[in-house]
Amino acid sequence: MGLLQIDDPTAAPRPIGIDLGTTHSLIAYVPSIGPATTVRDCDDDALVPSVVHYRADGSVSVGKEAAKLARELPRDTIVSVKRFMGRGADDPETRRLGPYRFATDEGPVVKFAVAGERVVTPVEVSAEILRALKDQAEDEIGDIGGVVVTVPAYFDDAQRQATKDAGKLAGLEVLRLLNEPTAAALAYGLDSKNNGTFAVYDLGGGTFDITILALDDGVFQVRSTGGDSQLGGDDMDRALAEKLLGEMGHADPAAAPPELVRIALESARAIKHALTDAPEVEAEIERPGGEPLRRRVTREEFDALIQSLLARTGTACRRALRDAELSTCDIDGVILVGGSTRVPAVRSYVAELFGQQPLTSIDPDQVVAVGAAIQADILAGESPNDDVLLLDVLPLSLGIEAMGGVVEKILPRNTAIPAAAAQVFTTYADNQTGFDLHVLQGEREMAEDCRSLARFTLNGIPPMPAGMARLEVRFSVDADGLLDVSASEQTTGIEQHVEVKPSYGLSDEEVERMLLDAYEHAEHDMTARALREQRVEAQRILDATAQALERDAALLEEGERETIEAAMEAVHAAAAGDDHRVVQSRIEDLDRIGKPFAGRRMDRSIQQALSGQKLGDVERETAGATGIEPHLGPGEES
Amino acid sequence: MDPFATLGLPRRYELDRGELEARYRELQKALHPDRHAGASASQRRMSLARAVEVNDAYRALKDDLRRAEALLSLYGGKAEPEGGAADPEFLMEVMELRESLGDAKAAGDLARVRQLADKVEAMRGAARTTLVERFGDGAADPEPVALAEASALVSRLKYFKRFLDEVSVIEEEALG
Repeated sequence: MGLLQIDDPTAAPRPIGIDLGTTHSLIAYVPSIGPATTVRDCDDDALVPSVVHYRADGSVSVGKEAAKLARELPRDTIVSVKRFMGRGADDPETRRLGPYRFATDEGPVVKFAVAGERVVTPVEVSAEILRALKDQAEDEIGDIGGVVVTVPAYFDDAQRQATKDAGKLAGLEVLRLLNEPTAAALAYGLDSKNNGTFAVYDLGGGTFDITILALDDGVFQVRSTGGDSQLGGDDMDRALAEKLLGEMGHADPAAAPPELVRIALESARAIKHALTDAPEVEAEIERPGGEPLRRRVTREEFDALIQSLLARTGTACRRALRDAELSTCDIDGVILVGGSTRVPAVRSYVAELFGQQPLTSIDPDQVVAVGAAIQADILAGESPNDDVLLLDVLPLSLGIEAMGGVVEKILPRNTAIPAAAAQVFTTYADNQTGFDLHVLQGEREMAEDCRSLARFTLNGIPPMPAGMARLEVRFSVDADGLLDVSASEQTTGIEQHVEVKPSYGLSDEEVERMLLDAYEHAEHDMTARALREQRVEAQRILDATAQALERDAALLEEGERETIEAAMEAVHAAAAGDDHRVVQSRIEDLDRIGKPFAGRRMDRSIQQALSGQKLGDVERETAGATGIEPHLGPGEES
Repeated sequence: MDPFATLGLPRRYELDRGELEARYRELQKALHPDRHAGASASQRRMSLARAVEVNDAYRALKDDLRRAEALLSLYGGKAEPEGGAADPEFLMEVMELRESLGDAKAAGDLARVRQLADKVEAMRGAARTTLVERFGDGAADPEPVALAEASALVSRLKYFKRFLDEVSVIEEEALG
């Protein structure tokens, strides 16, 4: 830090962006003056290893300190936890080469057994990383506000939900889950100010994403996305490690001692890094209680080991292009993201695939965090990049299991989000009174091949002949890419409504309990925190309302200004007090009173957009109208 | 819901893709929830509902088959049920094409697969051209005769889509 930070207690909390990576995590923010920047530790490192170590006394360390213990205490030190997010204990991914001890072999959630007889879930491990990042950010920039956390574009609903829960558990206000390639494009696009169609090739430690997007005067519109949430640099390490273990007499790498597995994985990674600059390396792999293995590894040998991994990325790229109805010659630039794109074989593969040299001018490790920080800044409403907008898509199709185990797709992949769609189903047996619904995500035709997100039963359907009931299932996906399902039965005037939040196994109560536990252990005073949050919210609403009154006075009806201003005064007075519930209730009052005015403003901006007028800064504030209420059914209130 | 009205575009089958994209972007600039992140709860809900509606309309118009279906339903028509009233000659042709595709797939003959796909794409192109005429320019509702023809053509588009989807799967698998 070159500048002296002056702690201003009245300064608004600063929004931050977090890249929660498989191997490393980073924090970035947009300072009051100057471009987005990453938070660095005392060694000037921006990368925090995504490693958590659990000690027998119940204490936890994160980052570099934890990484040092990974070799010595492999079972109590969780690395690459991102690979386990939202996955079941019996998931094949969970069972791959690694040194961990699992508390259970079945069930919807992975549980690591670590020192101190503790059992932790991936959500809790990720929350430890996020908490450490938050502390680090607070040390450097003071009070932090809302957070944008990035996720691989190809993450399914369970993985996204798990990430959001981890944020909640760490005490963060998660403004948005942002897709990593979109974040990278944002950082890149704002930097180069180019319009055109870009491919973002993002090969991280554990995930691969390909995103095709169009940039047009500040609007980043994702055309298609694809990838593999189980493919990354870790797999390169694993391929080499398995070969090395084989040469050390462990033909079955899974049966090798955990310490040796960890050593082999670390050596493989070191060799991979060395091969980025050198055509060959002399490696020495330690063997506890034995002679080290000395071996020369050439780039050719390594490249051959990872060929099949690269081919898998190629398949995903071709599919994404087809989904976008584009071919490689339509691509104006290819952006490389993720540490694994430093591997020379990856670069040459991408160059050949797209027929052009990829762009690498921004550090592939930092570009995602920087993009997340910019988006956080935009969402907090403090950004000079007012005209920037990210339009993203649903990465994987969502559907319902129909008769015969076939998946009926309700929202196909690459649908622009937020999105909603409904489908009507009926009964197949006479007098059937219950309806089992199975919510799935994936591209395969059969339910058993897709990711199961939730199961629920709608009961109480009045007895009637088969095929008579009308069951409407409605899917809504928000801007985070998170799904909400509701179902209603609409015959003979009887209507039922069931709200279902898909769950990968953690219920809301469980998350709540974990949160309470976390607060017990931390020094957080929940009431003080709630009051602070409500005050920030109050200020935000007051500013926005004042601005709207000033700009769109013409849309006010008679006497409306006076009522709104009275409600504003009430919010102001409540915020000066110390009861967060009162502040919240006054904010709700103001919201209700100002709603017709807000509606008129929004409708006016729709009219302006339709008439082809470019929306400038002034109109961006919206206008309102008639005809909005009918669109706000109960299903859309969430 | 009328997707044409939502996006402020004329009610016709012919689509100016650039116009669609521009309208879509302008509307999302005004409506997307990110544009209202700091606003009150009810305003955020309004923006979400409207953004969902615009996305839905965009999805309906962007796709050639869905756009045709949207027009049919706006004019009170329906696509003929598959295999129902469809022209037997056409059905025969489709069956033969599917058989050829099956054979080409079994033989791993990708060139033949592409050849068949090109043929179906040409048929689809012709059907689209006729649809543009049948649906008219949006100034007046199409005549019942034209609408019936359009309805049959929409059914054909479905056959073509299924065929070409299958080709995509075959080609994708072949590429690994």
